[in-house]
Amino acid sequence: MTAKLNVLRYILGAAMLGLWRNRTMTLGAVVTTAVMLVTLAAFLAINDTLNEMVTALGRKSNLIAYVRDDARPSRVTAIMQDLEQRPGVGEVVFVTKEDALRVFQERFFDQRDVIDILQANPLPASVELRMDDPAVLPGLADELRGLTEVFESVAVPLDVVERLISISNVSRAAGTAMIIALTAVALFVIANTIRIAVYARRQEIEIMKLVGATDWFVRGPFLIEGAFIGLVGATLAAIALVVLYLQAAPTVTRIISFLPIATDVSFVRNLAVFIVLVGLVVGSIGSYVSVRRYLAV
Amino acid sequence: MIVLQNVTKVYPNGTRALDDVSLQIEEREFVFLVGPSGAGKTTLIRLINRDTRPDSGSVFVENTEVTRISRRQVPKLRRRVGVIYQDYKLLPGLNVRQNVEFVLKSTGEFNGRTSRWVDEALALVQLSDRADHHPHELSGGEQQRTAIARAIVRRCPILVADEPTGNLDHAASWDTIQLLVRINALGATVLMATHNREIVNTIRRRVIEIANGKVVRDELGGGYDG
Repeated sequence: MTAKLNVLRYILGAAMLGLWRNRTMTLGAVVTTAVMLVTLAAFLAINDTLNEMVTALGRKSNLIAYVRDDARPSRVTAIMQDLEQRPGVGEVVFVTKEDALRVFQERFFDQRDVIDILQANPLPASVELRMDDPAVLPGLADELRGLTEVFESVAVPLDVVERLISISNVSRAAGTAMIIALTAVALFVIANTIRIAVYARRQEIEIMKLVGATDWFVRGPFLIEGAFIGLVGATLAAIALVVLYLQAAPTVTRIISFLPIATDVSFVRNLAVFIVLVGLVVGSIGSYVSVRRYLAV
Repeated sequence: MIVLQNVTKVYPNGTRALDDVSLQIEEREFVFLVGPSGAGKTTLIRLINRDTRPDSGSVFVENTEVTRISRRQVPKLRRRVGVIYQDYKLLPGLNVRQNVEFVLKSTGEFNGRTSRWVDEALALVQLSDRADHHPHELSGGEQQRTAIARAIVRRCPILVADEPTGNLDHAASWDTIQLLVRINALGATVLMATHNREIVNTIRRRVIEIANGKVVRDELGGGYDG
């Protein structure tokens, strides 16, 4: 037990000493990691906001399928039941001819004469969809248009939704590309820092190996160093993130009030925790790669 | 204690360092390994602590076939075999005591009890009063004695030395060899590769001569030139 503790103490001590001796590189790696993670956080926040917008707009934009007067009611019910099971579909509502007329009358009640002229009710019944995921709207609309024996026509306010979806897709693609590039840079910098640390201590490593130190005893300090760099960089990024968010979010919400920016604390907290984990993982992987490549123990 | 069976080692450049070598060294023996440079002495020593592996044949150390053990078991082997080099391989940033302690720290064995082993090892090599000196403040002989203290501090049953007097003057060489003889008398098996004719001829122990990768002489109480 004490031997295990001794080993642990030695590994931690060696790691800290190594980081300190190599402090310029260590600082560079920490800063790189922090910048990478702040960018990752910003991207995630923007993406989250865009997704909120798409969803919010999607909820408002119903798909309306107008039912033919001669359509069989049982067929309409069956279709509605089927629609309710579809992924991305939120709510399915049947609007009868009478309901439609009432809505029409309420909306155009200052033009009563127009309504009075109508002998019979010319408005069709309709099936209205509220979407959870607007992305499935176009496909669904085409499908319903194909059911000509049931529906007269299908109306979809596609424009705004489609544009938002494409913006969101572009932002996601650009953000992903940037994250991959930045992660690669952070990995590279950490791996290089560890490589230099390995090189600086090659004599020590050779002797350790020759006198019977285990692989993990030799590798341990370097792995800890990488993980430590990732962790410190991530902690800095998380602090920056929380400060920025607390400062900026209220202002942004005030200026652009329609933006459904995620202002709640739990979102920021989760993001911060996620960032710290990513930093730790990137640091560990970076050092592991270097240790595997440059530390032939 | 140490057994080689039909060991052949060919380096990638085609050099046949060892060619079908078989030999056996008993417990507590003191053996000189002689022969011209490039004859395969260093290769033989490196085989014993699994610093390299043969292309064919087997090497046994204390009944363990070291040519077959897994990577994970290599540290265990090396903790049983102390090695001394011509260039000492001391860490320049550490003083004498720390260099010796480093072995125990590298294996997580350093504690109050093993700290006394360090004292004993330093006393044996007569460096107790220079324990806080760094390698650059020591003579070659003192550096080699530090390396010997490091090799024996864990009380390894086997000590192998690769030209330990190669960089030392006459007096320091004799100090070193007397130390190795003493360690042998204390119970360790010692295998020493050397070019030092005078030492081999004076000490008169078992001599194994290698030339062109083959054992050409194995003589108890032999001299350098047979």
